[in-house]
Amino acid sequence: MGLKLENVSKKFIGKQAVDGISFEVNEPGVFGLLGTNGAGKTTTIRMLLGIIKKDSGEITWNNKQVERKNVNFGYLPEERGVYPKTKIQDQLLYFANLKGMNKADATKEINKWAKVLKVDEYLPMPAEKLSKGNQQKIQFMTAIIHNPELIVLDEPFSGLDPVNTEILKNVIIELVNQGKYIIMSSHQMASIEEFCKDILILNKGKTVLKGNLKEIKEGYKANRLEIVTDKNIDNYIKEYKMNIEFSKNNEYSIKIDSEDDAHQLLQALIENKILVNKFEIKKPSLNDIFIEKVGE
Amino acid sequence: MKDLKTVMAFTIKDMIKRKSFVVSTIIIILIIIIGLNIPNIIKLFSDDSSSSGNTRLLVVDSTNLFENKLNELTNMNLGYEVNSTEQNLGYDDIKAKIENDEIDEAILVEKNNKNYKLRYIVKDMTMVNSMPKELINAINTVYTNLQISKLDLTDEQMQSLTPKFEYSIEQTEEQKVNGNIFAMLMLSIVLFYAIYFCAYQVSSSITTEKTSKIMETLVTSTSPRTIVLGKTIGIGIVGLLQVCLFVIVALVSAKVCLEPEILDSLLDMSMMTPYLAIITIVYFVLGYSTYALLYALTGSTVGKPEDIQSANTPVAILAVIGFYLSYFTMMNPTSDLNLFASIFPISSPFCMPFRVMMGIANGGEVALSLAILIVTILIIAKVAIKIYSNAILNYGTKMSLKDMIKIYKDKNN
Repeated sequence: MGLKLENVSKKFIGKQAVDGISFEVNEPGVFGLLGTNGAGKTTTIRMLLGIIKKDSGEITWNNKQVERKNVNFGYLPEERGVYPKTKIQDQLLYFANLKGMNKADATKEINKWAKVLKVDEYLPMPAEKLSKGNQQKIQFMTAIIHNPELIVLDEPFSGLDPVNTEILKNVIIELVNQGKYIIMSSHQMASIEEFCKDILILNKGKTVLKGNLKEIKEGYKANRLEIVTDKNIDNYIKEYKMNIEFSKNNEYSIKIDSEDDAHQLLQALIENKILVNKFEIKKPSLNDIFIEKVGE
Repeated sequence: MKDLKTVMAFTIKDMIKRKSFVVSTIIIILIIIIGLNIPNIIKLFSDDSSSSGNTRLLVVDSTNLFENKLNELTNMNLGYEVNSTEQNLGYDDIKAKIENDEIDEAILVEKNNKNYKLRYIVKDMTMVNSMPKELINAINTVYTNLQISKLDLTDEQMQSLTPKFEYSIEQTEEQKVNGNIFAMLMLSIVLFYAIYFCAYQVSSSITTEKTSKIMETLVTSTSPRTIVLGKTIGIGIVGLLQVCLFVIVALVSAKVCLEPEILDSLLDMSMMTPYLAIITIVYFVLGYSTYALLYALTGSTVGKPEDIQSANTPVAILAVIGFYLSYFTMMNPTSDLNLFASIFPISSPFCMPFRVMMGIANGGEVALSLAILIVTILIIAKVAIKIYSNAILNYGTKMSLKDMIKIYKDKNN
């Protein structure tokens, strides 16, 4: 069951866009597809949606070859787009009809999701009258309205304000609870860390890292100390030959080589009666790992 | 098939709901109605004396050379309402009468030694630069008849002097040409504009979908082939209905507004046969399909609105060449070049209906022309759909012809 890509490649005129990538999404949840701009994410997404043909390799959904005509996935593209002059209700109905829904079912689903996403008042309006954020929510509706098993979300949170981001996050959690498979591509590492169990990082069309996010992070040793004190401790940090990444009002983020260095610093601060309000040894964030893997 | 109907229905609904479409349709209908009412409007604003449409001509013949016989010009259907006077009026008097709108024009007869001089005085010389030949001939005839009547000739002698010739015209070409050139030009021009502007809508619609980035969502919902065909058919149906509406409005307005004699001189309704109507609709549909698919191809190759014009230029040039090939060969409809224009696929939609209207197209020519046009459409459709399928996701710079050829040759696409 699920989605499987095996050794998939695609070359455009003069450029190898995707070079032999493989991954599997075996159970419902969110899978993170990461990479810099031009790394091959969109090409990979287009191939697994059947929009463009692969040059080699296998893409299967529930053990069946993925082709445009035999899949009905949901897709929120990175390139946001709506028909500017057409009423929201009409364009949502149009896409729902194209995905095989009849008018009655489609109308019911449109009304349901419009309420959830708080855009029901905009249904009779042309899209050009909506804000970018609301247009994005409309496009998100076109991706999920036909109740697809697999949904591809390309940068779902970009351009949304915190309130709308929260609404969308709740919908994604709801979809996962319903047993949906979601492929999420994003540059917002915090969102990926929040949602994704498994990830794949692409660089120049090749896989540079893939696997369970928790296991990946556990494979990295701690490299940062976050500490909050009641006094300036710059001298202590220099004494232990550590580098300050960030400091403000006695809040420090310090680069460390080992956990022992952090403990020695803590001991020195206590001995000198400096009050420590926060002391947290941190492993690299996904952002750090991403930069390490692709930021040459 | 279901998706094709959905795309068609959405395209039709989206198009006819647009304000720009509704407004332009209303404006064109108003232009047709007002245009065909121009003679009535002119009449409405003219005073009674010129309501007949005739030019009020005053002949100032103080020498009585014509003995008031020039009043007969009024009955000679030359478009003049003539009044003669023997008063001794000069140029300034006539100028005042023209300025006061008592008359439109005047002829001032002056004796110069033994000769007579006829001064033709008009308000301005924008439209005329000499006395009309018909008027000169008519004045000569009246004068001659006046002089002959003074010779005391017998009736027999009088009749022998009056020519009673019967005139006719014949052609050496075997093909007989019927109809009037105005109706044919109108048919050709209407077909060209209808085909060209409807087809252009396809390009515009596709480019709008690309530039508004809706395309990516659309191609995951249905196949590119369905999108191209659905759009082409949908816009074609709207265009055909719009043209039919304009033609009906024009025919009804012409019937209601125009004087029967003017209408008959413009349109010979006997030429409007069901066969011609069917041929015209068939060529509209096929011509539209040819250009719409070419426009679908060019429309799909651009990613930015500013590139639309340059991408569409080659198709516009083809259409203009096709139209002028048809238009200029109409002046010599029995020529081989006109026959070629009626068979050549880029010009046949504009040319063949008027050959049918003139009655010079035989069944074989029509069949050959249709076959070539249909094969051309199938080839264009195959190429257009393949390039469209691969070009619609290109958001970068406009694709070159080289890129398009590479896409077409790539077996993986």
